[in-house]
Amino acid sequence: MKQFIFVSAAILLTLLMACGNLEKEINLDLPAYDGQYVVECYLEPGQPFSLLLTRSFAYFDPFPTDLQQFVENLLVDSAAVTITHNGVAYELPNQIYPNLATGKIYNYYNPALVPQDYDSDFSLKITTPDGRTITATTRLLPVVPIDSVVVQFDEKRDTLARVLTYLTDDTSTEDYYRRMYHLNSLDSIPRQDFTTFDDFVDNGRIVFGTPFDFKEGDTIYNTIFHIDRAYFDFWESVINAVNANGNPFSQPTAILSNVKGDANAIGIFTGLSYDRDTTIIAK
Amino acid sequence: MNHKTTPLPVILLLCSLNVLLGQQVTISGTVNDDSNGETLIGATILETTSGNGTSTNEYGFYSLALPLGNDTLTVEYSYVGFQTRRLRILPNKDRKVNVKLGTGIELQEVVVKANSYQEQIRSTEMSVEEITTREVKVIPALLGETDILKTIQLKPGIPSGSEGTTGLYVRGGGGDQNLIVLDEAVVYNANHLFGFFSTFNTDAIKDLKLYKGGFPAQYGGRLSSVIDVRMKEGNNQRFAGTGGIGLITSRLTLEGPIQKDKSSFIVSGRRTYADLITRQINKANEDKEDYTPIPDYYFYDLNTKVNFTLGEKDHLYLSGYFGRDVFNFNSDFFDFNFYWGNVTGTARWNHVFSPKLFANTTYTYSKYNYNIETKVTGFSFKIGSDVQDNNLKTDFYYALNNRHTLRFGVNTTHHQFGVGRLKAGSDDGEISFSGGNDYTGASFGAYLADEAAFGVHWKVNYGLRLSGFTNDNKFYAGVEPRLATVYNVNPDLSFKASYARMYQYLHLVTTSGIALPTDVWYPSTSKIRPQYSDQIAIGVEKVLGGKYLITNEYYVKWLNNQVDFVDGARLFANNDLESEFAIGRGYGYGLELSIEKQEGKLKGWIGYTLALVKRGKFEPLDASRNFSDAGNYFFPRYDRRHDVSVVAMYDLSKRITLSATVVYGSGDRTWMPVGRFTFQEVYGGDPQEFVPVFGERNAIRLPYFFRSDAAIVYRFFPKWGESDLTFSVFNLTNRRNAFFLYIEPQYENKDEPLENPIAIPTGLKLKQVSLFPIIGSITFNFKF
Repeated sequence: MKQFIFVSAAILLTLLMACGNLEKEINLDLPAYDGQYVVECYLEPGQPFSLLLTRSFAYFDPFPTDLQQFVENLLVDSAAVTITHNGVAYELPNQIYPNLATGKIYNYYNPALVPQDYDSDFSLKITTPDGRTITATTRLLPVVPIDSVVVQFDEKRDTLARVLTYLTDDTSTEDYYRRMYHLNSLDSIPRQDFTTFDDFVDNGRIVFGTPFDFKEGDTIYNTIFHIDRAYFDFWESVINAVNANGNPFSQPTAILSNVKGDANAIGIFTGLSYDRDTTIIAK
Repeated sequence: MNHKTTPLPVILLLCSLNVLLGQQVTISGTVNDDSNGETLIGATILETTSGNGTSTNEYGFYSLALPLGNDTLTVEYSYVGFQTRRLRILPNKDRKVNVKLGTGIELQEVVVKANSYQEQIRSTEMSVEEITTREVKVIPALLGETDILKTIQLKPGIPSGSEGTTGLYVRGGGGDQNLIVLDEAVVYNANHLFGFFSTFNTDAIKDLKLYKGGFPAQYGGRLSSVIDVRMKEGNNQRFAGTGGIGLITSRLTLEGPIQKDKSSFIVSGRRTYADLITRQINKANEDKEDYTPIPDYYFYDLNTKVNFTLGEKDHLYLSGYFGRDVFNFNSDFFDFNFYWGNVTGTARWNHVFSPKLFANTTYTYSKYNYNIETKVTGFSFKIGSDVQDNNLKTDFYYALNNRHTLRFGVNTTHHQFGVGRLKAGSDDGEISFSGGNDYTGASFGAYLADEAAFGVHWKVNYGLRLSGFTNDNKFYAGVEPRLATVYNVNPDLSFKASYARMYQYLHLVTTSGIALPTDVWYPSTSKIRPQYSDQIAIGVEKVLGGKYLITNEYYVKWLNNQVDFVDGARLFANNDLESEFAIGRGYGYGLELSIEKQEGKLKGWIGYTLALVKRGKFEPLDASRNFSDAGNYFFPRYDRRHDVSVVAMYDLSKRITLSATVVYGSGDRTWMPVGRFTFQEVYGGDPQEFVPVFGERNAIRLPYFFRSDAAIVYRFFPKWGESDLTFSVFNLTNRRNAFFLYIEPQYENKDEPLENPIAIPTGLKLKQVSLFPIIGSITFNFKF
């Protein structure tokens, strides 16, 4: 449905814009905004504890001119970060941790590995440089495995194929998923990336498809994240907030964070459980 | 009085009142247009000596009590745009007097009456706007498509939603708080194409009356307005046709007598035809491998009506409306079919029990539905929603004497709702998804109102409506007092006041400011209580020089159990829709000032509205959900502080009519981000360099709105009838009014973000997008 609205709106706007230049720059005074702390922390079993603590800015604050300055401006140093699990407190010192495998940067890090425990909580506590507190709690979810990946070539145009990814949902629990797939490289922008839940699933079988877009030799990376409700809400709200810019049909939304405390922070503290399949298109 | 058919308690009540109120005779009948037999609604009937008067009701019926006597009295029949008729009547017995009014040789030659606003000044009705299709047809329109809902927005107190759309936000009410009825049947989604066109084909419509406040007791069901649209009945004098060819649509209406003076029919159709062109383009390019076909889109409306005079006392009307929007995209691999629309049907039986007692019994059927069907190889997806009503009501109009006119009636409606019915899966059945909910409900209403005259200066219309709704094993009842009063200082000046409580039991599920076909109606349930409002209005009406009517009204309105939706609400395909609701309240107040001139070569009006509206104290029904600014009052998007509209129509000659409109308004409000943060994302995800952090709801006001339009109607008079070419220019000054704002990052090299996923912008710019530049159009219209 969203696609229909976007397509229709695009057609309509394009037709109307063809009548003349219907865009112009304007100036408006936005209300004052005090920056907030922003937390991103994903607990992946078997991976080190790492957390990114940044700050937000007023919308029209100037941008630094180079990447290093941009990053330095963004990162919040000198906070005290602790993650507690089963009575063990893991302190994450303020230390830049560039994950070379993923290209992601974190500024609080502890090399201890996240235990694979689905039955007890992980708790986060951050004391910010100005003495305020950010807290959050989460629990890991087990991986929901991809059952099978099926490549189908189109009957009319047998040079193009689609990929169907099947999994089995536990119909006795409320489950949330994030589905993404990449073409040829995980470092590229995903071709599909959305969250969903099992509200409408009748018999536990779920399939995710693609268009008939792929040629022989293409590599498809299918990833299914099993996510919790907090992450589902947060990610949807981030995407909705981004999409609200420039789409007159969409409703702006607050960022739905699961971090609490008197620091009034934005962010997400969640486990990361996923199954990833790599398929090379072949007949 | 017909004792065989009138209920006994009614007879006893009415007879006893008659005895109490002295010796009178009654003249009654209908007032019709001489040229085509159409009934005239709101025509004035005035006994000139005493100044006693009345007006025709929605069916053209009137009943006027006169003192019994042997001196002939003069009774004047008038209607705007028609020549007044004066009849001399001997009031020695009850008389049936059916009157036909003519327009004269040509419209511009009609003699202007001394006071064409007399009935309006005398009436307890206030906060009412009326418009006829005759006006609509000469007022400039976007792309030449005249639209009665868009024209009524030019009246004070009725700001539109987005520019060019049919949305109505009456006196601070929501876009879902308007009861739109076509021949008494509810039209649930009166829009085509995101509201850029309404479902009302001007050729098939007689007139539109919009109540902003002071609601008569016979109306209920929505908080902020009642929009009563009446279809033409069909020419009962001769076979006739009207039609037109425009840039967007073509129209054809045929009407004529089935039996002259007694019965007639009308059939009216309208259809867009862009799809006929795009199909040819698609056909011409079908062999090109990389060609992506243009989707099909069209809409159409079909209005039909027949009416029969069944003897002296009975009249039967049968009318129907059927409209559809269709959007199709079909290719070898992917079929997408989306259609939506309304169906309404009305059967009305008018019965005149006596010269004083008139009854109308109506059955209506209304349905709105949408369906989306998608097919890709091996899989299909279907989703749809609908709302369906069967309504039965009966209304009585009893002109007891020249001091009391009673209206009373009952109605009951059975509602069926299908919300988000979803069926999807693989053709082999291995994969299956389903969802959706069905609900039924019933609403009830009963009312009694008396319009009482106290002397020659003061009239009070007081009434009570009792309403009820049941669904989900829950019954809600509403007590809705209605009061309207007028004090006539003299025939040119009156003061008015009104109070009305309204209940609304159905709620529209939408977060967009634009009418979407997927907006669904949802009933009150055990958790979602009915909305209700209270409105007080006071006003003054003054006729200047017999030509100009000045109206000044002040209102205050309180809205309770208002419906909004939580942040990130999932309104499309959701089995637990109630968890998305947030309930709050609102209020609004304002003043409206207008000066209008209804007759003469120059006609039109100037309207000004000063208004404020706020909503707030919203709490999600599901406590785990979030509603931004919960607890606080905030301005809705449609809070328009100042609104000015000028409409002028000038008959330059028999052939040429000029018209112009100018609209100025404070900008709508918008919800803008105040902050931004950078979202790194998980590996594989798409990092976001700036995620907006939205501040207070709708804290920003868009730049002011201004638009001026003009049109020329040039008429031809061929032997077979009449035709015209209407040239119109929309947005004459080519002003760029804001449709929405967005923020665009600026880069040193504009391709940088494509080349570098973490490109740093040099800054952000705020851009305004407008919808309509200057647009000219030409329409050919004809009638025979």
